Amino acid sequence: MIRILANICFAGSFVAFALSTLGLFRLPDPYTRLHGLGMGDTLGVGLAGLGLFLLSPTAALRIKLVVILVLFWLINPTMSHLVAKAGLIHGVHPVDGTRLIKG
Amino acid sequence: MGCAIMRKQWLVLVMVLLAFWLIVSEGVDLQHIVVGLALALFTVWFWRDLIDRLPAWPHWQDLVLFGHIVLTVIRFVIQSNIAVAKTILLGSPPVGPVFVVMRPPIESNWGRVLLANCITITPGTVTIDVDPETGQFIVHSLTAEAAAGLFDWQVVQEISNLESWKQRRAKHGVAVSGSHGPDSGRALAGDLRPDGH
Repeated sequence: MIRILANICFAGSFVAFALSTLGLFRLPDPYTRLHGLGMGDTLGVGLAGLGLFLLSPTAALRIKLVVILVLFWLINPTMSHLVAKAGLIHGVHPVDGTRLIKG
Repeated sequence: MGCAIMRKQWLVLVMVLLAFWLIVSEGVDLQHIVVGLALALFTVWFWRDLIDRLPAWPHWQDLVLFGHIVLTVIRFVIQSNIAVAKTILLGSPPVGPVFVVMRPPIESNWGRVLLANCITITPGTVTIDVDPETGQFIVHSLTAEAAAGLFDWQVVQEISNLESWKQRRAKHGVAVSGSHGPDSGRALAGDLRPDGH
């Protein structure tokens, strides 16, 4: 039963990464592509981690997986933010039709 | 008094780093413990200037509120993943990139960092910049729907609640167990200095 659940998680992770890669090609500019990649980095990695967690034989291994996931979810948004900010600073133009809303 | 607190903070930091080292190590034996202890001591010594900027030990209610924020973010991450997948696969909602400039009602630097992280970890929105002086966020959003949702996002309210709870506790001078110095009230309230880390 646990193996089936883990396999479902791995399949979900595969779908998330596949859609993320598809987004890389279909979305129009670097800023929007970051959103597509975010799918793989959140749901893709999360489901792969959950699948591995379920299959882990020892508690020590499970703790390591949780630590890896937490670090990943801290580092990944930071890197996305840096890429987007670097793009804006260095004059990477967003796609035509991008709007500005001030709230 | 101050020295005793510093020593206690040193010790707690070394223990936390050693525990982290042992968790990610292959095994717990003498070699790993000695190397981990040496590295932990070196790391704490190297960053000793930051010791007095350490936040206070969190109260259990802080952890409950923070756990609630994490659960809410996980829910939004799943919802946003589905929304972005629909946009990529079906084009519905259509791609309509928006730069959002907003000023959420959060005063502390840790609250702003937490919110920026929550926004970026949710697919469909990326925080591009946060101004530490004014608290102004620049966010890039994939669709108009995601941009509109930012203004009354539940997570903003929850972080704001956690922040005001900590400030209220600091104002009333409630002491909780842990590493508190004479300025623990400031640490509890969060680092409100413009140059705060």
